Amino acid sequence: MNLVNAPHNTPLRIVDLVGGEGTRRRLMALGFHKGDIVELDGQAIFRGPLLVRGCRSDTTIALGRGVAQKVLVELVHEQP
Amino acid sequence: MNSPKVPIVIFIGQPNSGKSTLFNSIAGHKAETSNFPGTSIKHTHSRVNIEGRLLDIVDLPGTYSLCTTDPAEQVVLTHLFSERPDLVVNVVDASTLSRGLELTLELVELGYPMVVALNMMDVAERKGIQVDALKIEKILGAPVTPTIAAHGRGVKELLERAFDVLDNGQSLRTVRWSGDIEEKVADVERLLPPGFPVISNSRFTAVKLIETAGHACGDFLGEVEPGLKETVDRVRRAIEEHRGAPGYEVISAERHHQAMKLFEETGRVLHGKRMTWDKKVDAVLMHPFLGYVILAAVFLAFFLIIFKVGSPLESLLLGPFTKLKEALSARLGGGLMFYLAEGLIQGVGGGVAIVLPYFLPLLFLMSALEDLGYLARAGFLLDAFMHRIGLHGKSVSPFILGFGCNVPAIVSTRILESHRDRVLTSILIPFIPCSARTTIVLALVAFYLGPLWAMGFYVGNLLVVAVIGWVISRFMKEPSPGLILEIPSLKAPRLVSILRKTWLQVYSFVKFAWPLLIGGSLVLSLLSYFRADRWINDILAPLVVKGLGLPHELGVTLVFGFLRKELSLIMMLQALGVDYQNLMTVISREQIIVFTVFISFFIPCLSTFVILWKEIGKKWAFVSAGLSIGIALVLSWAVRLVL
Repeated sequence: MNLVNAPHNTPLRIVDLVGGEGTRRRLMALGFHKGDIVELDGQAIFRGPLLVRGCRSDTTIALGRGVAQKVLVELVHEQP
Repeated sequence: MNSPKVPIVIFIGQPNSGKSTLFNSIAGHKAETSNFPGTSIKHTHSRVNIEGRLLDIVDLPGTYSLCTTDPAEQVVLTHLFSERPDLVVNVVDASTLSRGLELTLELVELGYPMVVALNMMDVAERKGIQVDALKIEKILGAPVTPTIAAHGRGVKELLERAFDVLDNGQSLRTVRWSGDIEEKVADVERLLPPGFPVISNSRFTAVKLIETAGHACGDFLGEVEPGLKETVDRVRRAIEEHRGAPGYEVISAERHHQAMKLFEETGRVLHGKRMTWDKKVDAVLMHPFLGYVILAAVFLAFFLIIFKVGSPLESLLLGPFTKLKEALSARLGGGLMFYLAEGLIQGVGGGVAIVLPYFLPLLFLMSALEDLGYLARAGFLLDAFMHRIGLHGKSVSPFILGFGCNVPAIVSTRILESHRDRVLTSILIPFIPCSARTTIVLALVAFYLGPLWAMGFYVGNLLVVAVIGWVISRFMKEPSPGLILEIPSLKAPRLVSILRKTWLQVYSFVKFAWPLLIGGSLVLSLLSYFRADRWINDILAPLVVKGLGLPHELGVTLVFGFLRKELSLIMMLQALGVDYQNLMTVISREQIIVFTVFISFFIPCLSTFVILWKEIGKKWAFVSAGLSIGIALVLSWAVRLVL
């Protein structure tokens, strides 16, 4: 599951960041790493960007669909 | 340099940490601040005297880390590494502490003397975050002072501690990473050849060699020291094999976890007290439907306010100048003196009475939007539309800044990661009606034809921008890297900050534009006294009169417009030999529209051309100029045919 098809307003754990080095570096610089818990807070119309909030740092970033597809996540509460 | 040496103090922090605000409260209001990631792209130097001690303080653009590929942030690295500062002031947003500490840890690795300003404590408090500053201080070995820069709180203590570090030095404690990574770093560190340009200390240098994209210091490194490049590659491979992720990612994750651990040890989040107020506001501002209604309303209100404030102000201010001119004309007759005096009055009067009334409210509102943090939200809302013209939401902020002035807007395209996006955005910005052109549209179209016409003109202008963008993006097919944009928390804009920013821009307008306006107006007076303007007008007549259907006298005006847009308006009145109020007696409504269309799309101004040249190169600057001329001609001709 990636951020585009993940449910909103529920904690998600980042499993992996795929995609190019530039994108990964940028995401990490903004404080989004593998293992972090994030939540989807909203999205814009016409297949616009998603609002992703890092639960720990409480920072919000807007990710375009293309980038959001490269952030693989899982539901937190499914983990034992 | 100077003797005795004045200590250099560098301010560094992540975007939106309130760094510029803190810098301002110390430097006495010289740096511009705003609430959008990457707006203070130029750095500001200030010499300040604090209780008898001199300091050279430098405000650098915000940066998320010291290992960056972002062109705007690389300025920071160059500065930080080349000019060894005597002290680093690290400004951290306490309300997003966990992330802010990542940069702090990196600065501790760098090891220059530093103090930490734990800023925006009030926002953190509202969010229910409590921070034990003393504990962070103990762990890092650097003074940590809570501050609220916007209210000037804690600034004095921060400075005291800064002087203490400058006088007595300090011993920072670098927090070590996992053993296997430290080993690898030590491998590279050991093999640094003697005489290698070490940045601060060998460990930091080794870390940067491993984690910087490509090879740090470029291929030059490989030539000077072929062995080192091999070592770095070997170490990178070893880390990747061992950890299953590239070296830069492993190191970044180590720092990330350290920062989270540090935050856990020193901070507490009281969840019951979580601030919900601005979450609710944000939910409305970025709502899939309401968000766009608000966006449209904001822009509508924006222009209505500017017009409602500007138009009466203009009438009020114009009166005295008209009277003065009448008095002079009665006294001086028709000689050279009269022409010169008339030129002077037209120039000064135009700057004061026609340009300023619209310019001032526009700058004020623009600053308010910036400080509020609305630009990033507009970027979020408009991302999908920007995709249609081959860009994404991050270009929205430069575009919106372009409504103020194209020059800083083009500089601010440095926040875009890809070169293609930068070029495309920079080529489109000159078509955004800047404040000078807004003035013309309001002073001509809105004043004579009504505000609705002006609004329609604006919408049409934006459509043209969209079409140009769409067409150009067909030729620039490289994929855009997509939107990654921080949405900073909303901040109630402070009047002082907005006024300060407005003042700065008005000041630079008065300083740079007025001499040009007055000079241009005088030149035109002289031209018309010696009847030289006729030749230029005659040469341009086929185009101006036959092509565009404009009065013969306006040829000169159209050409001079490229120096500065306001000049066109002032010169137009002068060339036609009428007062602003009586314009309609010599020119028709249709002609006003054609003239405005041409002026709006023609090369914005000399400074825009120069900055394009500087930022994206000669080739693109000329492409832009050519496009402007072509589009201005075609559109104004087409408008003439339609009307």
